[in-house]
Amino acid sequence: MKTADVIICGAGIIGCAAAYYTAKKGKSVIVIDADEIIGNGGSSRNGGGVRQSGRDPRELPLAMYGVKNIWPHLSEELGVDVEYHQDGNLRLGRNDRHQKILEGLTERAVAVGLDVKMIDGDEVRSINPWLAEDVTCASWCPTDGHANPLKATLAFFKAARRLGVTFYSGEKVLSLKKEKGVLRYVVTDHDTYSAEKVIVACGYESRAILQTVGIDVPMTKDLIECLVTEAEPPMFSQMLGTADADFYGHQTNHGSFVFGGASGYEAQNLDFGCMTTHSATAPAICRGILKWIPRLREAKIVRTWSGYEDVCADGVPVIDAIDEVPGLIVACAFTGHGFGISPVVGQLLSQLACDEETMLDLSELRYDRFKACV
Amino acid sequence: MRIDRSKDLGPCLPKEGDDRIICRCEEVTQGEIRQAVHDGMFTLAEVRRYLRCGMGLCQGQTCGKLVARIMAQELGVPVSEIAPASSRSPMRPIEMATWAEEKEGGEV
Amino acid sequence: MKRYDLIIIGAGPSGLSAAIEAGKRGMSVIVFDENERPGGQLFKQIHKFFGSKEHKAKIRGFVIGQQLLDEASKAGVEVKLSATVVGIYPDREVVVKIGDGVEHYKGDAIIVATGAAENMVTFDGWTLPGVIGAGAAQTMMNLHGVKPGKRVLMLGSGNVGLVVSFQLMQAGCEVVALVDAAPRVGGYGVHAAKVARTGVPFYLSHTIVKAEGTNHVTGVTIAEVDSHFQFIPGTEKHFDVDTICLAVGLSPMSQLLKMAGCQMDNSGKGGGQIPVVDESGATSVPGIYAVGDVAGIEEASSAMIEGRMAGIKAAEYLGFEEVKTGDEEFEKEVSALDELRQGMFAPSNRGKKIEKTEEGIPISENLLKHGFVADDEIERFPGVTHKVGIHPVMECTQNIPCNPCQDACSKHCIHIGSHITALPAVEEDRDCVNCGMCVASCSGQAIFLVDEDTGNGHAEVTIPYEFLPLPKEGDTGKGLSRSGQPICDAKVVRVRTSKAFDHTALVTIEVPQDMAMKARFYKAV
Repeated sequence: MKTADVIICGAGIIGCAAAYYTAKKGKSVIVIDADEIIGNGGSSRNGGGVRQSGRDPRELPLAMYGVKNIWPHLSEELGVDVEYHQDGNLRLGRNDRHQKILEGLTERAVAVGLDVKMIDGDEVRSINPWLAEDVTCASWCPTDGHANPLKATLAFFKAARRLGVTFYSGEKVLSLKKEKGVLRYVVTDHDTYSAEKVIVACGYESRAILQTVGIDVPMTKDLIECLVTEAEPPMFSQMLGTADADFYGHQTNHGSFVFGGASGYEAQNLDFGCMTTHSATAPAICRGILKWIPRLREAKIVRTWSGYEDVCADGVPVIDAIDEVPGLIVACAFTGHGFGISPVVGQLLSQLACDEETMLDLSELRYDRFKACV
Repeated sequence: MRIDRSKDLGPCLPKEGDDRIICRCEEVTQGEIRQAVHDGMFTLAEVRRYLRCGMGLCQGQTCGKLVARIMAQELGVPVSEIAPASSRSPMRPIEMATWAEEKEGGEV
Repeated sequence: MKRYDLIIIGAGPSGLSAAIEAGKRGMSVIVFDENERPGGQLFKQIHKFFGSKEHKAKIRGFVIGQQLLDEASKAGVEVKLSATVVGIYPDREVVVKIGDGVEHYKGDAIIVATGAAENMVTFDGWTLPGVIGAGAAQTMMNLHGVKPGKRVLMLGSGNVGLVVSFQLMQAGCEVVALVDAAPRVGGYGVHAAKVARTGVPFYLSHTIVKAEGTNHVTGVTIAEVDSHFQFIPGTEKHFDVDTICLAVGLSPMSQLLKMAGCQMDNSGKGGGQIPVVDESGATSVPGIYAVGDVAGIEEASSAMIEGRMAGIKAAEYLGFEEVKTGDEEFEKEVSALDELRQGMFAPSNRGKKIEKTEEGIPISENLLKHGFVADDEIERFPGVTHKVGIHPVMECTQNIPCNPCQDACSKHCIHIGSHITALPAVEEDRDCVNCGMCVASCSGQAIFLVDEDTGNGHAEVTIPYEFLPLPKEGDTGKGLSRSGQPICDAKVVRVRTSKAFDHTALVTIEVPQDMAMKARFYKAV
């Protein structure tokens, strides 16, 4: 039986970041993931947004902390260019209804201290001249940005590995096991491991693992899609989104555009047991994009993909050391906004794993916050 | 298949042909691919995501086998153990405007 | 959504063959192909095919392509060109880019026949313009009428490398060398021999060190390799060339099948990632079939049979064919395919070193090392005999599934028998009437008519000739040996062309009597 101070179930960006920061504190760490490929879930399938605007006030402090303290130095710290850009986020609107949605979001964000404001169509185009003439308004958060999720995930993996973290991919965690009331063992399809602390960060798959020690997080999974174009000359560096969320995305360092979007049937589409794409989605994303950036008509799409979001019942993740199961730490149900806060979550998890006081208050993200609606 | 990322590959010593471009679309060299393997990227998907090789216009049709062979050599495994990348639409690059234009049912 | 009984992706030999079988059985069939022209690789194949009558032997590839198209059209098949399949989605939905938009189709069955793409090898300078795939060279020459270059080095001695080398010369290019890292010629010996006898040197156990040039290939250096494929210092050879052709194998273009969720096999046995299929081409996804090169690299003849098999089975699957009748038809195709997979080049013999023919004759080592049968080896094969007067000499020394020569001779001078891979033998008691049909029918250009003594110390040798301009009666030049070396003076005494010869001209040269069994090509001087 192999032993480590901390075992992390899940080699996505949350698991890899947690492994890196925990190992940096001198702990021995083993990371186990059922997938052969590191970061093969949402970590390498998201749109790369590092946003604060548009976030729920309960998780906004995490986003703000990360943008202020971690992202600007992350490439340097990890030794890999994670392509972080802090060039702002434009959330676009073209009618009164959009304006109302955006104003509501802006008000709530300002109330918790975020630098975000409403701007008019001309201002929007002065920031990004490629946007359509009929864009009438946007919320503008100049400190938002984007990064490359593929490289950020693998950068944490690489850095953690360099610190001596052991990674086993393609090994499935079957159950967790307590000893004398305390979580002690991780049972996989290959071996049994023992640890002082176990972090579960497996996205939707966390659910089945947590249930083996009687814990559940209310979440569903949605299969959502993204696409990427061939490299285009540099056009703009902001992160874009819209009031109706018909698309989101940015241009990468490489020149390609990464955009996500929806057909509207994400909750109902069959997944056929794998991360399949649907024939209606890519055309819908294209139409969404072209309404806002007509100039991209000729840009060629080279690839589309899908990925599961672990959608929490109340829209924010669970990040918590579970009282009922001493030794168990959970980070899941990120609801599609996990990437931007992953470095800060990694730091928080390392603090929980070392029984330190966390640098941010996590009480709003506890596992036992879910109550009946009546 | 279970992959232990702690497998000792020894030092990544310079090798004949390291400057040679393997992925033409994205201009990735043999040396970069070898170094990525030594950095822990033991699967083709990771190498692609880390370096972009095989992520360009041809989506790896040309370099996929070449990259896999280099990786297999570094890892000391048969090339059949390097799983090919996933396949995704579109099979050929397609303009955004074209994909946006869905014609009814297939009648021209 | 527009629905068809059967959607076929790829209008090459296997796709069209499948379409014909399905269409004949009353299925609504649509075939999509991304190219402007149908036929896949067939319309690039200007050489005659091997096989038996049932396999369309001795017919040139592009003619087979036209025949398949005609049959498909008769069977009511719709062929949609410049139609690029974007993806296969759940529920057998096929999205196709046509014109400036995409169209959605569903098929109750789908046959994927997308073929293969060329492999590349890397060496210093491999990304220079002028380094091209052999298939690309073929497309340039045979579809677009463009010469790929003036001086060409070919890497790869498989059938593609051999056939394309010959075609490059037919197009007027000079092939300076044929190079392969393997110690033995990979393709059919007869293909090698027809290249070698024109004077192209073969360098086995050699490969490319580097392509030279700044903006375009201007030269190439090759060197010998040891048994571990490491260069042997001091063996470098330089050639001035403007083109380097790579014929180093094909990879199945199986991405659509993988996207469709078919179980894949990455063991490498099919030339790359291939779908796991049963005998009929059925994949692990019900209703989705894969045929031709996409299911494992083979050749057009077997691809056509695989296509027919899948077409029949798809018809059975959807109730357009009685299971009993379908199975009977299917079994016939199985036998035809088995027949094609016989002989020295059978898939089951891949990688094996074969020492003797099925008849127990030691094979020609020189053919494998240098591309031609040596003078002291040729006499041991049953197609090579001596007699007074004109007679056929068949320099066919490997067991390959091919027999048109047997039927070509109305006088029954040539015997293969019912076993298609047997070496052709001369029936010594039969008399040759010098009709030339055997010479023209041999897809390997390995049959010669020889009169070993025409008096005055001369002999006459009739050779198949597929170059332009044709020599004229009375022309004088050199007789070339099997290795392409000028060995004697030669005078053209007769040039025959005929519709029945299908563009293979028969050139009869007069050579010194002792050159009767040595001179095998003619070169004007």
